[in-house]
Amino acid sequence: MAGLVLRHIEKTFGRTRVLHDVSLEAGDGEFVVLLGPSGCGKSTLLRIIAGLEPQTRGSVNIGGRCVDALPPSDRDIAMVFQHYALYPHLTVRENLAFGLKMRGKPKPIIEERIVETAALLEIHDLLDRKPKELSGGQQQRVAMGRAIVRKPQLFLFDEPLSNLDARLRASMRVELKKLHRRLGTSMVYVTHDQAEAMTLGDTIAVMNHGRIQQIGRPDQIYHEPGNPFVAGFIGNPPMNLFEGSYRLHQRDLELRAGDLTLRVPFQAHDLVGADSGTATLGIRPEDVIFAPPGSGHVAVIGTIDLIESLGGDAVVYLSVKGQPLVARTSPALRQHAGDSVTAYMKNFHLFINENRVPLPSS
Amino acid sequence: MTKPLRPALLGGILLAVLGSLCPFLWFVLTSFKSQIQVEAIPPTWWPDGSLGFYTSALIEHRLLHYIRNSVIVAGATTVIALVVATPAAYALARLRMAGKAWILGGLLCVAMFPHIVIAGPVWQILERLGGLNTHWGLVLPYVSLTLPLAVWILTTFFQELPFELEEAARIDGCTAWQALYRILLPLAAPGLFTTAILTLVFAWNEFFFALLILTDPGRQTLPVGIALFQGEFIMPWGEIAAASVIATLPLIVIVLLFQRGIISGLSAGAVKG
Repeated sequence: MAGLVLRHIEKTFGRTRVLHDVSLEAGDGEFVVLLGPSGCGKSTLLRIIAGLEPQTRGSVNIGGRCVDALPPSDRDIAMVFQHYALYPHLTVRENLAFGLKMRGKPKPIIEERIVETAALLEIHDLLDRKPKELSGGQQQRVAMGRAIVRKPQLFLFDEPLSNLDARLRASMRVELKKLHRRLGTSMVYVTHDQAEAMTLGDTIAVMNHGRIQQIGRPDQIYHEPGNPFVAGFIGNPPMNLFEGSYRLHQRDLELRAGDLTLRVPFQAHDLVGADSGTATLGIRPEDVIFAPPGSGHVAVIGTIDLIESLGGDAVVYLSVKGQPLVARTSPALRQHAGDSVTAYMKNFHLFINENRVPLPSS
Repeated sequence: MTKPLRPALLGGILLAVLGSLCPFLWFVLTSFKSQIQVEAIPPTWWPDGSLGFYTSALIEHRLLHYIRNSVIVAGATTVIALVVATPAAYALARLRMAGKAWILGGLLCVAMFPHIVIAGPVWQILERLGGLNTHWGLVLPYVSLTLPLAVWILTTFFQELPFELEEAARIDGCTAWQALYRILLPLAAPGLFTTAILTLVFAWNEFFFALLILTDPGRQTLPVGIALFQGEFIMPWGEIAAASVIATLPLIVIVLLFQRGIISGLSAGAVKG
C-alpha cells in the first residue's frame, strides 16, 4: 500500500504559480527526500501534504485515503519543523503529551508512550525541563519525540537539521536513518542539503522552480542526472557544465563552448532530433584526472588557477581555453597554481533540449 | 554584571523620580493632617497622623460608593476590551488580508482623536440609546477609546510569536481557537497584562466622559466623585487628598503585582515591534 500519493498538485499564490503539476509517490515505509534550492516550492509541497496550505489543484492521498478535505489534525501525520516549534510554556513531557491529550487518549497510554519515546530518543532526563533550558540538539530530539509519540502514518520533516552545527547535523543524520529503519514509517523530508538527501533518502525528488526535475534513487540521481539542473545541483564540487553548439560526426559528437572544442564518442542513431544545435556537456570533477590514463579519455590542456586542499583530496580549479574546469583529485598533485597541465576526462553527460541523452560508456 | 551608576546619572534619576512623585507624596502627607495643619501658613511639612480626613471621605462623602462604581466600570471596560481586542489582534497578526497596514494605521489615528471632538456625538448617541447615567453608557465609549491601543499592542505580541507554533498545534489536533487559547495566549501573557493594566488605568482615572455621561451621584465614578467633593464655599483639600490616596492604592498594588510581566511586555513591544 502506498504511504503517500500526490497527483498533479498545483499551487498559486495570487498570480504567482509556485508548484506546477507535481506528482509523487512514497511507498509504505519509504524515505522520500524533496531536494532543491530555496524557493523551489519544496516546503510549500510539504505544507500541502500536511494540510497547512490548500493546494490549488490536484489531490493528496495518505495511506490510501484522499485527505484533501481533512484538516492537518485528521491526516494522521506528524511534522518536525525547522525551528522545532516546541511549546515554550510547556515542559518536555507536556510537549510530548499535547498531541495525544488533544486526541483524548487516556492518561496511562499517554504516559506509556512518553516513556517509550523518551527511551528511544534518550531524552528521559529532560522530561521535566522547559524547551529554553535545552541545547539545540536536545530541542531537536524533543521535536522528533513529539512527532514519534503520536505514531502517525506519515512523518514530515521541514529542514529539521538546518539549525544544528555541522558535527551535530552529521550525527543526527545517522540517528534519523536508524530511527527510520526502526519505525518503518513513511517519511517525507525537505532539505536543500544534498549530503542529507543522498545519505537519508530511499528516493530523492529534485525540485526547481516549482517542478519536479527528477525522481530516483540517490545513486541514479548522481550517476544519471536527468537534466543540466540536476547535474549541476547534485555533487560537491558541482559538475562542470559546458554549454555550446554541437555537431554530429560519424562516431563522435563535437561541442564548441567558446574557444573550447570537445569531442566525445557518440552513436548518431542514439539521437532523436537534429544533427546540430545547442547542447550541454557535463563532467564530474572526480572524472577529471591528471595522470596519463589508458584509452578512452578526452584530453585538454589548461592552466591551474587555484588548488584547494581538503586533506583527503584536493579541488583543482583550471582554465581551459577560457572555460572554467574543476577537478577533484588526490592531494599528491605535483603541479602548482599557474602551471600548465593536461587534464584527462571520461564519463561525460550529454544534455540536449534540457534532457539527458545517453552516451556509450567508454 | 551591573556597574555602579555615575553620580550625575544617579542624581538625574533621583530628581526625575522625586519630581514625578512629589505631588502624590504631598497628597499622602496632606491626607494624614488635621484641618488646622492643612490651612496653616507657613505650611507644616510633617502631618500629625490624624485619620480624620479618611473617615470623613469614606463616610460623609460616601467614597466606597464611588469605588464600587469605578470597579464596575473599569473592570467591565478591561474585560470587554481584552475579549474583543484579542481575536482582532490575532486576526490582524496572522491572517493574510488586504489593507492590513491601513487597518492598523487607522486604529492608531482613531486613538489620536481628542476626546472633546467626539464628546458631543457620543452624548447624543447615548441619549438615544438610553445610556446616559448608566454604567454601560460609560463602558461603551471607554471600550471604543481603549480598543485601538489594545489591538495595537496585542497585534505586536502575536506577530512576534513564531507561526510554526500554531501550525504545530494544528497538526497536534487543535482548531484555530484552541491553538489561540492553549498555545498563543499563555505565550502572549505579558502582552495581555500590559494591555489590561493600560486599559484599567485609563478607565479608572478617566474624568471627562465620566463627568459628561454620569450626572446622577449614585452612578458616578471615583474621579468625578472626588472632584465634586468641593462645597460651595470651601475646598475640602484634606478629604480630596485622602480620597485620592485611596483611589490610587488599588492601581499601585496591581501594577506592583504584575510589574515583571508588564516590563517584559512593554519592552518586547518597544524593541521588536
